[in-house]
Amino acid sequence: MNKDLEHKFISEFQQHQNIIHKVCRIYTNNQEAHRDLFQEIAIQLWKAYPKFRGDSKLSTWMYRVGLNTAITLYRKSKRTIKTQDFDSVLHKIQSTDYDATEEEQLKLMYKAIYQLSDIDKALIFLYLEDKNYKEIAVTIGISEVNARVKMNRIKTRLRTILNP
Amino acid sequence: MDELELLKKDWKKQNASYPQLTYNEIYKLIHKKSSSIVKWIFIICIAEFVFWGLVNLLIPDSFLEIYEKLHLKIVLNVFYILHYAVSIGFIYLFYKNYSSISVIDNTSLLMKKIIKTRKTVNYYVYYNIIMSVILSVIVNFVMFSKPDLLLQVMNPKNLVVDADKFFNIMLIAQIIGLAVTIGFLWLYYRIIYGILLRKLTKNYKELEELD
Repeated sequence: MNKDLEHKFISEFQQHQNIIHKVCRIYTNNQEAHRDLFQEIAIQLWKAYPKFRGDSKLSTWMYRVGLNTAITLYRKSKRTIKTQDFDSVLHKIQSTDYDATEEEQLKLMYKAIYQLSDIDKALIFLYLEDKNYKEIAVTIGISEVNARVKMNRIKTRLRTILNP
Repeated sequence: MDELELLKKDWKKQNASYPQLTYNEIYKLIHKKSSSIVKWIFIICIAEFVFWGLVNLLIPDSFLEIYEKLHLKIVLNVFYILHYAVSIGFIYLFYKNYSSISVIDNTSLLMKKIIKTRKTVNYYVYYNIIMSVILSVIVNFVMFSKPDLLLQVMNPKNLVVDADKFFNIMLIAQIIGLAVTIGFLWLYYRIIYGILLRKLTKNYKELEELD
């Protein structure tokens, strides 16, 4: 593959890499798995890049490839990792902004999200990224009505996980 | 829902806390090997095509002589020509389905295409098994309808054998062979579907149930 294309890809990827970090944040719960999934998504993005024609926004395209990789293509490596939970690592960084109850609530939320199915995680992720139901439906390949129904179910499920 | 709004606020703040990869780090990353399931499915499918192709080539010559004496050579040749035509058809279908898999499709379509590709190879394997069964039924039928000829072919040195005992042993040996083959196939597919496709089929079912 040609060098110009590679240069262009890496520069654009560098700019938008937080999208991929966020996909990994939803689908993994420790740093090693995060890194592993991040790598696979980067490879898939690069492989698909020559077919990216710019008729959609690059970020939209990255959401799609990122989620597809996390849900469908990625195989968890067999290594069992006993590192610290990613949740607690991240929350240590940010704890100055929050009071203790908020922090506790957030921790519970992330834990609850981690228990959701792969598909539900994709919906929650797109919701957190402020995507509307139409975009959510198109990305996952379901109808808009079903996206709404599913989202409501997830909210109910999260509520029951949080308040048993 | 209060918690969800709280989470959304926190989510947006997180942008600042992710480690940022440098140009060189990204360069190294994209040149690493992928471990995607599509790649594994491709490797396994090719291996299956090669395996079933070889199975036919591995039949020893002495067997063919027996078939010749039983006047089964023509039947077998017709089978082989048909078989290779069908195999080429399957390989073409597999290639067509495989190359249509694209990570830029929506999630549901991507899963559908992967499952379709895998199914093509499954059908190929079913086809091979069914063909082998049909062929062995025909061969057995011909063999046992000409017991004198069979005994003569299998026992060229004319040793003294009990014909009934001989046929029983042949039948039992075939049944055991069949059972062992089925056992291996069952184990193999348990492994393929268990390790490789469990996650995919589970997620696909979840989407299907929605629609």
